[in-house]
Amino acid sequence: MSRLIDAGLEQLSRLIFKMGDLAEKTVLLSLDCYMKGVDVHEKVRVLSETLVSLSEEAEDKAVELIARYQPVASDLRTIKSYMKIAYDFSRYGRYAWDITHIHKRLDIKLDECRFPWMPLEEISGKVLRMVHTSIEAIKKHDVALAKTLNAMEREVDEIYYRCLDKLVEQPPPLTGCVVSTLLFIRHLERIADHAAYIGESVIYIVTGERVSLR
Amino acid sequence: MVNDKIDIRNLNVWFRDNHVLKDVSFKIRENAVTAIMGPSGCGKTTLIRAINRMNDLIYGCRTSGDVYIDGHNIYDGNINVYELRRKVGMVFQKPNPFPKSIYENVAFGPRIHKVASGRELDEIVERSLREAALWDEVKDRLHDNAFNLSGGQQQRLCIARALAVKPEIILMDEPCSALDPAATAKIEALIRRLSKKYTVIVVTHNLQQAARISDFTAFLYMGKLIEYGDTKSVFENPHSELTEKYITGKFG
Repeated sequence: MSRLIDAGLEQLSRLIFKMGDLAEKTVLLSLDCYMKGVDVHEKVRVLSETLVSLSEEAEDKAVELIARYQPVASDLRTIKSYMKIAYDFSRYGRYAWDITHIHKRLDIKLDECRFPWMPLEEISGKVLRMVHTSIEAIKKHDVALAKTLNAMEREVDEIYYRCLDKLVEQPPPLTGCVVSTLLFIRHLERIADHAAYIGESVIYIVTGERVSLR
Repeated sequence: MVNDKIDIRNLNVWFRDNHVLKDVSFKIRENAVTAIMGPSGCGKTTLIRAINRMNDLIYGCRTSGDVYIDGHNIYDGNINVYELRRKVGMVFQKPNPFPKSIYENVAFGPRIHKVASGRELDEIVERSLREAALWDEVKDRLHDNAFNLSGGQQQRLCIARALAVKPEIILMDEPCSALDPAATAKIEALIRRLSKKYTVIVVTHNLQQAARISDFTAFLYMGKLIEYGDTKSVFENPHSELTEKYITGKFG
């Protein structure tokens, strides 16, 4: 016989998985915007705001489950972690939106800021893979997959610092490009951090252990 | 300083052929609340009744193993069982005041143990009622019949009666199961307060109550101690899958 709390947990899970899919789409669009100049600023803004409101909905649902059923053990760990993960997903959305802002705000052209010595494809590809992995890990409650985020996060950090060094050693001629690149890699690095947080939450839900993947 | 008050070692209890407690071993912390939880018939009540040898009164009961209180084995032949039961008080599921006045209920223990009379007895009654958070509600009607009190007040009176003989350990067997939420909240707050001075062991079916009031939690299942640890860990991340299933309502 299923428990009363199970229906609520199922609803919350569905909401979190939906957020994951939307968050991945949002990050992907923002990278298209920055790297290829696709104009999706408005679309990304709407998605980001949707993620914020879904995050609030998830929080309300989680609080309701706590109030109604006083969950413990794995139920409690799941609910608490889903609240955190909902926030992480909303941050994916927010950083994605910020990425789409960059060129618009600085009023520079994309072509003026592309330099072959800057490993932007590499860092954005890895961050996108982290986003996807974090979402798969939470959908499957897969600890082994979550743990792979640790190595990926280190790789992203390494590229991030390599980019910073390049910006100092071989600064693009336009100051706007320096700022643009800096903001872009910074936002990507933060997205990678949130992917690692999600991995940590998956491990906590399944094992009860608190580990750092950063 | 942190001390263990009770040390239970390899405790087994049988009622005739029924092996009710199976090799239970753990230590109970002094001046803390320890909750004992588990499904009906798992041996919770038998376990606490082993701590003041109340099981001895049941025909067909046999016990092996040891229970040490402050380093003294209470199952040694030369132990004074009456003194033990003074030191280890008990409060039951259903409030069971004597058919006497409020005052006489509390004075009963000190009188039969001949530890006080007259003014000293008055002081013990007042102190015990204050400690049980009942004094303000009954100070003007101490000689009323105890049955005129509400259920929650009767239970606090029973706690005051247990406190009157200056126990060190208080055993409580489902002390709130017959009470409404408001009376339950008062008893729970009282249990927390009492643990500053006494070692309190509470048997409860109510998991949330165990989580609210206890410092340590033991989980018994079919006579075996499955898990024992600090309450936060037991409720957030139990080690045993059986505990996980029990507290999340997946069986039991």
